[in-house]
Amino acid sequence: MNETEQKLRNEARTLLEQGRVDCIIGYETGSLKFTTTPLITKDKDDTDRLVINPFVVNNLSVFLSDVDGKAGIVAKGCDSRSIVSLIQDQQVAREDVVIIGVPCSGVIDLDKIEKLIGKDRDELDDIAWDGDKAVVTIGGAKKEFPAKEVLMDDCLSCDMPAPKEYDILLEEVGPLVCDNELSRSRIKELEEMSPEQRWEFWENEFSRCIRCYACRQVCPACFCKRCFVEETEPQWISPLPKWQDNLIFQAVRMIHVAGRCTDCGECQRACPVNIPLRSLSKKMEEIVDELFQYKAGTDKDTPPLMAAYESEEAEDFIR
Amino acid sequence: MKKVKKQEIQKLLSQWQQEFTVFVPSRENGVAEMVVWDGQDTGFLEWYRNTVVPPKENFLLNMEKMFDFHKADGNYSLEPTPAEDRKQLIFGIRPCDARAISIIDMVFKDAYEDTYYLSRRENAVLVGMGCLNPYDSCFCTSLGLGPAEATDVDLMLTDIGDYFLIEEITDKGKELLAKAEGIEEATKDDENRAGEVKDAAVQKVTRKIDVGEIEKRLPASFDNEEFWEKISAKCVSCGICTFLCPTCYCFDINDEMLKGDGARYRNWDSCSFPLYTQMPMENPREEKWRRVRQKVHHKYSFYPMLFDVIACTGCGRCIRLCPVNWDITQTLSGLPAEAPAGTEK
Repeated sequence: MNETEQKLRNEARTLLEQGRVDCIIGYETGSLKFTTTPLITKDKDDTDRLVINPFVVNNLSVFLSDVDGKAGIVAKGCDSRSIVSLIQDQQVAREDVVIIGVPCSGVIDLDKIEKLIGKDRDELDDIAWDGDKAVVTIGGAKKEFPAKEVLMDDCLSCDMPAPKEYDILLEEVGPLVCDNELSRSRIKELEEMSPEQRWEFWENEFSRCIRCYACRQVCPACFCKRCFVEETEPQWISPLPKWQDNLIFQAVRMIHVAGRCTDCGECQRACPVNIPLRSLSKKMEEIVDELFQYKAGTDKDTPPLMAAYESEEAEDFIR
Repeated sequence: MKKVKKQEIQKLLSQWQQEFTVFVPSRENGVAEMVVWDGQDTGFLEWYRNTVVPPKENFLLNMEKMFDFHKADGNYSLEPTPAEDRKQLIFGIRPCDARAISIIDMVFKDAYEDTYYLSRRENAVLVGMGCLNPYDSCFCTSLGLGPAEATDVDLMLTDIGDYFLIEEITDKGKELLAKAEGIEEATKDDENRAGEVKDAAVQKVTRKIDVGEIEKRLPASFDNEEFWEKISAKCVSCGICTFLCPTCYCFDINDEMLKGDGARYRNWDSCSFPLYTQMPMENPREEKWRRVRQKVHHKYSFYPMLFDVIACTGCGRCIRLCPVNWDITQTLSGLPAEAPAGTEK
């Protein structure tokens, strides 16, 4: 256990003991190698299981609407932006949440490690940071990879690794490896395609969507109690997993989360059939920034982007 | 027993391709699943551990047309979808997935014979391949099967180095081999080698559950709301663990209609979704813990009550693929002990 984890456990325990929160939402060690899993608890003794490591992938703000009372929540930079966005949308009251900000130097993308090594994650012995290199141990041999080869794409373009909105900040954020160009390399490939090629690309990708809705369920910006896909009177899209309907579902979802999406990357990570959803959400985030100079979840006191209108606002989005 | 040289697999599949639509594990479509063999590639022999999408999708399609309908003069006429006469050969299916298909067969030929599913089953042969490198999420040995056990398939292959040992399980399987070239007689040594390999595979499955204890504890847990609330807290109610479970067989039925013409389809459904039990006035499983309880009870309690078999083969997909690492083996191992004897319920 490292120093940050000890501090986190102490803070979480104190919050529960002092009755400042009713529950804690954090991470504990998962049941598989290199995983963590959400820990949602009211029991102060459970706080001894809290961890912080390079595998804290989940955006825990998605659980805020599930819990009763006040919640103490562990948040990386992107997660804290999701919380702020939920506050802007009045889904969470600021006074009902105690944000425990944690340092984040980016989380490790196990898919990338698997590709680099040619082995599955459960066949590896260890993955650890050594400065700005990830050291992977397999069968006693060690292999080193520069951070930018193993970090999640969304982490590579992260410019707010430290939570801006917090109640407790555990420690200053470590050095962050950024490479925006690498982070958006798949988007660039798509931008360079002709519309016909892009259409064909997405037809292929959405042909294997099974409509499990994991992308929606792990997304904190998808907070609607009723989603258009489940409406039957009238029916907006077919519940059958035809690629056209799959695409429409995702396109509408993306537009609904415009101005709320913080590029936490959870939709893409959760997808069991590897649809590169972040190529849509990141692009959309860029468009929002370009047209409205707006970054989701950075100021809890401004109205949500899509709920506000100013007369001098750009209208060239109609094109 | 028989054997076949690994280099001969391509030739063997080509011969079978004359008669069957041959499916092999592939990642070509962006996810590991069984796809129609291209007549060339046997690269899967190198990387294949198991598919993400289970081969149940070859029998219970995730979307299928049941019939067309036409409305004219106030009357509907139905036009059944012609039965599929395609003969499928699924090559490389793992014992967990083959057993899973046998398990869901029971439901599709129970009170009502589901011709859509059953006609595909009757027209299919399963060529199993022992799983010698199970995942850390696998727990098949706790459910009475081995990762390389010859069961619920027509032929079973075991990797013994330069060769695959072949066990002929059914008459269909024997027929497949009778017509095939490149098949050799296995020696006693080959059989011993296969035995060793199978034993070693069993040892590699380290995740365990105690089925006897679960059978005792699970029914008693039903009303323990506190337990189910606690273990379901981190579930996000997506459909991954059910859609990609080889024994989950629920489907939804939908009509697509434009003016008078339309068709009735069915597609996979999941008890993880609130909509699954939504009724006009209420939803008996509105809360997440009720849905999680349903899933676990259905597999480990209700299905055994109906068909005398647990509807889980320990393939581990629900653990591997879950975006929050919700682990059914932890839930099952953490079931509260039965109420002490003599206490009133």
